[in-house]
Amino acid sequence: MLEIKNLNKVYPNGYHALHNINFSVPQGEFLVVIGLSGSGKSTMLRCINRLHDPSSGEILFNGVDTTKLKGSALRKIRSEIGMIFQHFNLIPRSTVIANVLSGNLSRTGIFKSIFGIYSAEEKERAMKYIDIVGLRGKEKNRADNLSGGQQQRVAIARALMQNPKILLADEPVASLDPATSHSVMQYLKKVNEELGVTVICNLHFLSLVRQYAHRVVALKAGKLIYDGKPLEINEEWFKTIYGEDAVEVTIN
Amino acid sequence: MQKKISKVKNKNVQMVKAFILDTLAWAYIALVSYKVLYDKIYIENRYPEFAWKQPLYALYFGLAAAALLFFTNFSLGRGSLGLIKLRDDEKATTKPFAFIGYLLIILTFVTGFYVSQVSLKEFFSSQGLEGAKRIFTALFHPNWSIFEQGLFAAIETIYMAFIATAIAIPIAFILGFIAARNLMTGNPVGFFIYTALRTVLNVSRSIEPLVWAIIFSVWVGIGPFSGMLALCLHSIASLTKQYSEQIESVDDGPIEAMTATGAHPVQVVWFGVVPQIVLPYLSYTIYRWDINVRMATVIGLVGGGGIGNLLMQYQGQARWNEVGLLVILIAVIVWTMDWASSVIREALK
Ligand SMILES: Nc1ncnc2c1ncn2[C@@H]1O[C@H](COP(=O)(O)OP(=O)(O)OP(=O)(O)O)[C@@H](O)[C@H]1O
Ligand SMILES: [Mg+2]
Repeated sequence: MLEIKNLNKVYPNGYHALHNINFSVPQGEFLVVIGLSGSGKSTMLRCINRLHDPSSGEILFNGVDTTKLKGSALRKIRSEIGMIFQHFNLIPRSTVIANVLSGNLSRTGIFKSIFGIYSAEEKERAMKYIDIVGLRGKEKNRADNLSGGQQQRVAIARALMQNPKILLADEPVASLDPATSHSVMQYLKKVNEELGVTVICNLHFLSLVRQYAHRVVALKAGKLIYDGKPLEINEEWFKTIYGEDAVEVTIN
Repeated sequence: MQKKISKVKNKNVQMVKAFILDTLAWAYIALVSYKVLYDKIYIENRYPEFAWKQPLYALYFGLAAAALLFFTNFSLGRGSLGLIKLRDDEKATTKPFAFIGYLLIILTFVTGFYVSQVSLKEFFSSQGLEGAKRIFTALFHPNWSIFEQGLFAAIETIYMAFIATAIAIPIAFILGFIAARNLMTGNPVGFFIYTALRTVLNVSRSIEPLVWAIIFSVWVGIGPFSGMLALCLHSIASLTKQYSEQIESVDDGPIEAMTATGAHPVQVVWFGVVPQIVLPYLSYTIYRWDINVRMATVIGLVGGGGIGNLLMQYQGQARWNEVGLLVILIAVIVWTMDWASSVIREALK
C-alpha cells in the first residue's frame, strides 16, 4: 500500500539526510525502522506524511504519488495517515476528549471546530477510541495531567480518530519506562491486528523490535542497509547497524 | 591549516577592535575635558557654544593618541580585550590601562553632575527650603472640596486606558501572528510582510506615547480622545511585540501533530498555537492595562484629558492644596491597579 522509490532528502542547510531509499509496505504490516541517532529515521517518517518535503523520489500511497500534492489534496492524504510522537504532542490545557476529537479536524469544518461544535457521531467515535486505549472515565481530565503512558494512549486515540489507513510512530516509547513502553506497544499491536491499520514505527530497543515487528528496515547514515525479518538480525548485522562497539541492552 | 588562518584573522579583528576602542576613549576624554572641565568649570561659560568641528578635532586627537600609545601599557583597548599579556603576579586592575578606564568613569560622573546642574547650595538654601516647606504643607492638607471633580477626572483616565487597551487587543492579536518569525519567514512574501511590519512597529514603539499624545492633540484636538489614541497606538505596538515573541517560543510539537492530522492551517494555528499562548497573552494584556492607566495620567499632562490634565491646570495656578488631593487620588489608583493586576496575573498562573 505504501511504496517508497529513490527517496532523497537534502535539508536546506545542505545536509543529505536520506540517500536513495527504496522499500514498500504491504497492507496490515507492522514495520519497524531502526538505526542510530541521526541516521534519518524521523526524517523518513516525516517525508511520508510531508511534514518534511522530500527532495527527490516518489512516495506512492495506494498508488498516489504524495510528493507532488498541495493544499487540500495534501490535507486529504495526511488525514489518512495517523502519526504519534515521542513527546506525545497533545494540545496543552485541553481535555482528553478534546484532544481525541482534534484528530478529526480535517473532516470538521473550520468554524465548527473553532467553536467546538462536534456532531453526536463524532463524539461517539471519540468515546469508542478512548475506550479502545483503555482510558474510559478519563475523557474529561486535562490531558497534560495524565502520566506519560496515558498521554501516549490519548495520542493513539487521536490518530485512530482520523480513521487512518496507516499509522506512523516516531519513537513512541522513547520517553517512557519499560513497563509502560510494553503497554503502549501492546496498544499499537492491537490497533494493527484488530483494526487492520498498517504501522510504521521507529524504535531503539531491539528487544521490542523482536517482539512486535513483522519486518525490520535499518538506516545508517541515511542509507537503507537492512530489510528483513527481525529474528534474522544476528550479532554481525547488529554490529553493522549500530557500530563495532555497540552492546545490546534489553528491556523486559 | 584552515584553523590557523581563522585564528590569525581573529587576532587581527581583535586588534582593529582594540584600536577603535582606544581612539574613541581618547576622543571622549579630550572632548569631555575640554567642554566640561575647561569651558564650563574653569571659564564658567554657562551656555558654551557647540560646533561640529569640536568632536571632529577630538576624534583627530583620539586617533593620534591611540596611534602613539597603542603598543604601550596605556592602551585600554588592548588591555580590555586581553591582548596585553600579564605575568601571573600582575593584576589587570593596577596596570596603566586600567587607570585610563578609571579616568573615563570619573570624567563621566563629573560631567553628569554638571549637566544635571546638581547644586547642594540651591538644595539647602533658605529660600529653597521655605518653598519646599510651603509645597509639602499644602500637599499634606489636600483640598477635599474638589474631590468630586478629581474623581470624575480619574474615572475618565481609567476608562480612557481601558478603551485604549480594549481596542488594541484584537488588532495586536492578529498582528502578533504576522509579526512572528516562525510563522512568517517560510516564503519571500511572508518574509517581506514580516520585516515591514516589524519595522513599523519598532518605529512607533520608539516614539514615546507622550509625543504621540502631542501629535494627536494637534490632529483631533486636546482632550481624552487624543490621549486614548496615543495609548492605543503604543499598546498595539507593545502588545504585538510581546504576543509575537510568545508565538515564536511555542513548542512545535502540537503544531506538527495538528498538521499531521490533515487540519487546515487556520485549525493548526487555533489548536496547535493558541492553547499555548492564551495565558501569557492574558497576563501581558492585564499588565498593559495597568501600565496604560499610569501612562494615561502622565499623558493628561500634555492635554490628553483626565486627571493628568486637571493636575496640570492646578499646578499652573500654584494651587498646591488641590494638587495634593489629586496626587493622593493618583496614588490610590496606581496602587489599586498594581494590586489588582498582580492578583489577577498570579491567579492565571
Ligand atoms: N531541520 C533540519 N535541518 C538540517 N538538518 C537536520 C534537520 N533535522 C534533522 N537534521 C539532520 O538529519 C539527520 C537525521 O536526523 P533524524 O532526526 O531523522 O535522525 P533520527 O534517526 O530520527 O535520530 P534520533 O534517533 O536521534 O531521533 C541528523 O544528522 C540531523 O542532524
Ligand atoms: Mg528521531
